[in-house]
Amino acid sequence: MKPTNGEKVFYGVNYFILALAALSCLLPIIHIVALSLSGNEAITLGKVGLWPVDITWTAYSKLIEDTNILGAFRNSLVITLVGTALNMVFTILAAYPLSRKHFYARRFLTLAIVFTMLFTAGLIPNYLLAKSLGLVGNYGALWLPGLVSVYNLLVLKSFFENIPEELEDAARIDGSGEWRIILQIVLPLSVPVIATIALFYGVAHWNSFFNVLIYINDPERFNLSVLIQNMIQSQSLMSELAMLDPDAFRKLTPESIRSAGIIVMILPMLIVYPFLQKYFVKGMLIGSVKG
Amino acid sequence: MGSLNIGARKDSKSRLKEQSALGRRRRWNMNKPLIIMFLPIAVFFILFKYVPMFGFITAFKDYNFADGMFGSPWVGFDNYKYLFQNPDTLGIIRNTLVLSMLTVFVGFPFPVILAILLNEVRRSWFKRWAQTLLYLPHFLNWVIVGGLVLMMFSIETGFVNNIVERVTGSAYPFLFKEGSWITIFVASGIWKTAGWSAIIYLAALTSIDPSLYEAAGMDGAGKWKQIRHITIPGLMPTIILMFILNIGNVMDVGFDQVYVLQNPVVVNVAEVISTWNFKVGLGSGQFSYATAMGLFESLIGLTLVLIVNGIARRSGRGLW
Repeated sequence: MKPTNGEKVFYGVNYFILALAALSCLLPIIHIVALSLSGNEAITLGKVGLWPVDITWTAYSKLIEDTNILGAFRNSLVITLVGTALNMVFTILAAYPLSRKHFYARRFLTLAIVFTMLFTAGLIPNYLLAKSLGLVGNYGALWLPGLVSVYNLLVLKSFFENIPEELEDAARIDGSGEWRIILQIVLPLSVPVIATIALFYGVAHWNSFFNVLIYINDPERFNLSVLIQNMIQSQSLMSELAMLDPDAFRKLTPESIRSAGIIVMILPMLIVYPFLQKYFVKGMLIGSVKG
Repeated sequence: MGSLNIGARKDSKSRLKEQSALGRRRRWNMNKPLIIMFLPIAVFFILFKYVPMFGFITAFKDYNFADGMFGSPWVGFDNYKYLFQNPDTLGIIRNTLVLSMLTVFVGFPFPVILAILLNEVRRSWFKRWAQTLLYLPHFLNWVIVGGLVLMMFSIETGFVNNIVERVTGSAYPFLFKEGSWITIFVASGIWKTAGWSAIIYLAALTSIDPSLYEAAGMDGAGKWKQIRHITIPGLMPTIILMFILNIGNVMDVGFDQVYVLQNPVVVNVAEVISTWNFKVGLGSGQFSYATAMGLFESLIGLTLVLIVNGIARRSGRGLW
């Protein structure tokens, strides 16, 4: 069928609006990249748009020399990798029993767990608990209180429930115990959903801000989020940099250093995101079908 | 014959009993490894989720560090009297409601519109690119999005103000005027979440029968009419469900978004419960007030979820 004139107008407008919306997501990031690579004068005169002017890498070299960005990067990595590994082990340990029909009290336990999603104690009681357990100041406070996310647990549980029981019965007759059934049958069949959940946990740890802000006091142990937030908020850091090295600073503006910090933090995400996008979307859909 | 029959029945009864005893033992044997597996999980949920719930007693005490949570004196509802009579804290509750209501009601149509527009795209490469870019902001945290916003709207060097200055001759303090701050707050929330939220509507759109569109096309209905009379009614159940879920979260204005965007000049509209709890509770150690406010927030949130689910259940769409 040939498109009518009305349809041609409709499609044209549609592509135009979507292109605008999509570009609005991309252009701010390109602008920040341009700022991080531009010279001082060009930035103050407002000449930098989407392409760097007077290209210089000074912002990045100053960032690495004078701030703890490399340490913060390593901290973010440690928080993310250890945290995600712990999350996965315990989410699987929680989801498997709850998905077995012969497990005692599985209905009651599931309800008790879902309730913790609806009613939370609030900031102060959680903080006092972490304090009395000696978690304040170390990464345990970032890993333990969020060990199992109820949402991810429900996604994994419903996936386990749909694995045909005949497979396990056969293994049981062959004399396999529950642990072997998990390792050799259930987990290999669940690789896509496990990858998706691990990605959700990983992104949450990489982006974690509030918990690091309240539980970690030692600046050496900050992750990228908190370090960059401090750089964005504080003027004092910038004046400190100016005193340390006035010559180099004349070539820099706070904007270019801040932009460089933002780029360092989002670069790993930008690199892996296009490849992993389909897993994220899949995870979102499993969850929403359940909801 | 009769006696034999009874005997046989007895026999089968006792065998049944034996069998069920066997079944019980078998079930217990099958449960043992599961219980061992679940034990650490039970400890986790009790220790980190249920124990802190008892911390709410702090809301009815005058907490001091020397006596701790259990030793501090009871004060009944005095903390709530203070919170609900003090104009500052009332303003904070109002700000929380205003910002979250605006986020829910203004932000709501955007993912629906994006999904409908994406659904009408015929070129798959364009659709793929648009989706990749539109989902991207979801993966940036608020420190990054806040940083982008602060730099774009900064008075001296911001990209937006460079343009404004060229057009009007003077820069505008977007982040330091209450009206424009609220607008930027709501808009940045939409920018970050609308694309990702569209995924659910896109999934719902795939379940609409394509023959409906064909039939409508035969009858001469244009694109606009097809969207109004087929697409939107088809999306309605999902729209209602998502709307209900969002209402349930109304008390929950995320800490991060407010914290990174707020500044002292707009504090009259920009201070919300979560940021106030952080400053008053952890900052100045007033644990009782902060816990009281936190408990109030949690109770309102729970009540809203229960009410909303009750309404949804009546139309057969409840969550449980």
